[in-house]
Amino acid sequence: MSSMFRMVGKQLKTHPSLIPLFIFIGGGATMSMLYLGRLALKNPDVSWDHKNNPEPWNNIEPNQQYKFFTVNTDYSKLKKDRPDF
Amino acid sequence: MAYPLQLGLQDATSPVMEELIQFHDHTLMIALLVSTMVFYTILTSVTTKLTNKNMLDSQGIETIWTIAPALILILIAMPSLRVLYMMDEVNNPHLTVKTIGHQWYWSYEYTDYKNLEFDSYMIPTQDLIPRQFRLFDTDHRMVVPTDSPVRMLITADDVIHSTAVPTLGVKMDAIPGRLNQTTFVVSHPGVFYGQCSEICGANHSFMPITVEAIPLIHFEDWSTSMLAKI
Repeated sequence: MSSMFRMVGKQLKTHPSLIPLFIFIGGGATMSMLYLGRLALKNPDVSWDHKNNPEPWNNIEPNQQYKFFTVNTDYSKLKKDRPDF
Repeated sequence: MAYPLQLGLQDATSPVMEELIQFHDHTLMIALLVSTMVFYTILTSVTTKLTNKNMLDSQGIETIWTIAPALILILIAMPSLRVLYMMDEVNNPHLTVKTIGHQWYWSYEYTDYKNLEFDSYMIPTQDLIPRQFRLFDTDHRMVVPTDSPVRMLITADDVIHSTAVPTLGVKMDAIPGRLNQTTFVVSHPGVFYGQCSEICGANHSFMPITVEAIPLIHFEDWSTSMLAKI
């Protein structure tokens, strides 16, 4: 396993143009895995704790931002205009 | 609306569609520039008399043609994700319209205040009057107020259909047993057409969607008159 890294390290010395490749591919893979992890852990459609929080999709606050990114909606400014469940 | 031999997107009638058109133009320009460069490179490579049998590798150009495409892709991904998240935002709808796909017509329900329900069949070609569009016009139109966020709840009664209105940037599948939601805002009054976008049987091409947008002050006149008629 470590011999593979050593082999790649030797190739990098003679072919430094491979470094940007590692940066972009590595960065892309890292970002994908991080987003998948975020989806697994913070998406209200996913239920992990069957005893204490079996249906997280029923416990979303009206002004809770569950998406990663908002363009026009400021969730902290939303009004809660419906009765409690 | 669509016209024969049309190549581009229809003009936008909603803010979301304007963003989609801008993104499309941005990405298409990048694609055309890259394709032109590649085509030119291939052309010159194929028609040159220069030959070098000892060229093995070059670190400089390899670095450039790794970094440049990555940056270009990032420049495409950022607006793409922004438009994607923007399309998902639900912006306090003023009105909810329920759209149900059947074989082979659409039915619309406006149940916010009273129970307004009606079917929308395509006008058969032999029954068209001179101002109507073949395969697009329907007997009853889905009327919505302008400048008002409208929520559309979409489902189907039998097989999968899909409601699409290209000028509004709307397309959502109508799946039996499932309720899909989409929202749109119509920027200006007019009549906008779309066609069923999921194969659903013999008359799949003959169940269009017609959206008529009228100013908000006239909207209740229409809904009252429709309730009286139905």
